[in-house]
Amino acid sequence: MIQTIAFYLFATLVIASAALTIVARNPVHSVLWLILSFFNAAGLMVLVGAEFIAMLLVIVYVGAVAVLFLFVVMMLDIDFAELRAGYAQYLPFGVLLVLVLSAEMIFAVSAWSAGGIALSASVAPVPEGVPNIEALGTLIYTRYLFIFEGAGLVLLVAMIGAIVLTHRTRSGTRPQNVSQQVKRRPQDAVRKIDQPVGQGMDL
Amino acid sequence: MIGLQHYLFVSAVLFALGVFGIFLNRKNVIIILMAIELILLSVNINFVAFSAYLGDLVGQVFAMFVLTVAAGEAAIGLAILVIYFRGRGTIAVDDINRMKG
Amino acid sequence: MSNTASLLLTLPELILSVGSLALLMVAAFVGDSATRAVTWASAALLGVAALAALFPANGGGLAFDGLYHADAFSAFAKLLIYIAAAVSVVVAPRFFERAAPLRAEYPILILLSSIGMGMMVSAGDMLTLYVGLELQSLAAYVLASFMRRDSRSAEAGLKYFVLGALASGILLYGISLVYGFTGTTLFSGVARAFGDGLSTGELFGLVFVMAGLAFKISAVPFHMWTPDVYEGAPTPVTAFFASAPKVAAMALLVRVAVEAMGPASSAWQQIVIFSALASTILGGVAAIGQTNIKRLLAYSSINNVGFALFGLVAGTAEGVAAVMTYMAVYVAMTLGSFLCVLQMRNAAGEPIETIESLSGLSRTRPALAAAFAMFMFSLAGIPPLFGFWPKFLVFDAVVGVGLWPLAMVGIATSVIGAFYYLKIVKTMYFDEPAPAYAPVTSYTEGTLIAVSALFVSPLGYLAIPALGAASLAAARSLF
Repeated sequence: MIQTIAFYLFATLVIASAALTIVARNPVHSVLWLILSFFNAAGLMVLVGAEFIAMLLVIVYVGAVAVLFLFVVMMLDIDFAELRAGYAQYLPFGVLLVLVLSAEMIFAVSAWSAGGIALSASVAPVPEGVPNIEALGTLIYTRYLFIFEGAGLVLLVAMIGAIVLTHRTRSGTRPQNVSQQVKRRPQDAVRKIDQPVGQGMDL
Repeated sequence: MIGLQHYLFVSAVLFALGVFGIFLNRKNVIIILMAIELILLSVNINFVAFSAYLGDLVGQVFAMFVLTVAAGEAAIGLAILVIYFRGRGTIAVDDINRMKG
Repeated sequence: MSNTASLLLTLPELILSVGSLALLMVAAFVGDSATRAVTWASAALLGVAALAALFPANGGGLAFDGLYHADAFSAFAKLLIYIAAAVSVVVAPRFFERAAPLRAEYPILILLSSIGMGMMVSAGDMLTLYVGLELQSLAAYVLASFMRRDSRSAEAGLKYFVLGALASGILLYGISLVYGFTGTTLFSGVARAFGDGLSTGELFGLVFVMAGLAFKISAVPFHMWTPDVYEGAPTPVTAFFASAPKVAAMALLVRVAVEAMGPASSAWQQIVIFSALASTILGGVAAIGQTNIKRLLAYSSINNVGFALFGLVAGTAEGVAAVMTYMAVYVAMTLGSFLCVLQMRNAAGEPIETIESLSGLSRTRPALAAAFAMFMFSLAGIPPLFGFWPKFLVFDAVVGVGLWPLAMVGIATSVIGAFYYLKIVKTMYFDEPAPAYAPVTSYTEGTLIAVSALFVSPLGYLAIPALGAASLAAARSLF
């Protein structure tokens, strides 16, 4: 019973906040709705026993991706009111598209019961009595090792890409030079002077 | 009783909302990037739901890789958006008419 | 199979990964002055990886429980990909140097993209397919906007990114449906499940997967991004986009269609027929009004992809072999054309892209005009040039399965397509000379143009026995 209530709560909130993400007038609100949507999706995943993915969703999305979005929204000084112009122009087409797409997919979904599934073909059945995270870890570091390395390269490309595109060396700034700071010794910087009274300071 | 259909239904609606968002916000690239994240989220819900109901972990592994790639994709998308903004002073896609398709 | 044995089979990817990491370190610590060394080292690495792909350990086979294939098909595709990637690496420094020295990340990103393409053509599982595709695409988005001060380049990157990410989303949704309704992501398992009848859910998955892959090969109706991205991206990057990723995506499409969805061939055949016809027609018609040579070549690539798809329609080993031969000849023609475009620069060294600047080229630069004309005739598939041969093979395969009407329509569209290629040749040979281009300064590019021109010339027919045998062996390994 409680699961049913939780499911409907999470599902409603996921869909509502996703809808608000794409219609919100202010992009900062959009990001916040996106975060809410991800939180509730994580809830949906916990309900079917995928705790690890749910945790990742919260950590990676809410912790990193959404914050990145917020950062960019605030960094770019954009007149958002202007961007809303012409909004209604695409509305009828968009609504038509969304109706057709949902109808098609709900049709596909209702065909679920008709699909014959050979469960014996499963290459990685859920093991009994092993926590979700442990079972996933075992798979990722053995069977899917190659893909795991590939995913590492994907992240490397993302890092190189972001740096190569946005990094620029600014002239006229005075950055911190750590090695110079560390190398500096008291005798280079401090002088003890026995200052006679009534004479000017010799700098 | 909650069945697989319920999950697939949520995911289908999310996917449609994501595609809708791309068409609706033709001028605002940031929202388009968020709509793409929604599409990937719907795919992840699909994978996890199928994985649970098939009793097979591959779906969850797949969802994990989708998450990883989505994070990289967001980083690159925002980086391209930043240089685009620096060059043009706007992020409106409709302004992308220097080259007519 | 142990992990070590599996890793040995993925040697081309290993070489490229370790090599690109090492070169990245060099680039980070030495700076942009190392670009030239990194460029040539990258080309050498691609050569070594090609050797490793041609001669896999223990004669090839499945690695990581079927996630990765090291077979004749992947070796053939990888050879083409690595050659195309190496060419786009070595021509880059001269193009970029007029603004600022080329940054060393360029060759490294191409290497990383090549790893992704290697994973794509070797994929035996939807997971390998997806991660490889994304590795290739993410690097490509960055490369498209690599000239970050040029707003056209940033725009190309943005368009490519948004549409590419949408296509990935569609592809992924399809994969998730295929997984849910077949219970597996392995190609062999999917084929087994598709074998006992196609349920509605599986059909939807198939359509979504095909749509996502059609975007990556820029087949109609998912071609909208191609002209804009090809025009906006820096020319060496465009040469890369038009060659290597296209081969990779085409090989991937063929593998998915035959190996995973082979039993459902009647379902995807109609989609492929539509896409092939629409691509050849649209690519031919829309190119006519173009004034920018890079846009024109973009439509030409759409047109050629359409012809290659005809081979897949046949669905036989001969058809797939024709697709592979087509891609091999296509890579030579496209790279040759883009190398010629790279020579188009005014006296000040600025690149020019208008078609009218080509007029009278036969008088100012006869050798370049002759080479360009050969590539154009070859792209149009006019005998006796070598570009005719793969078109013949493709239609031969279509006729072989009894689809006479389709072959007729296809041949008719190739006549429409020939029009605009001939227009360029006319501009070069019969119009009043425009201001001459800056003289050639690069022997590398000259040599590459000469080699590709020789390959597409009638002399290319000498390569038929070797090329035919290799592509047939590649195709057989899928069936």
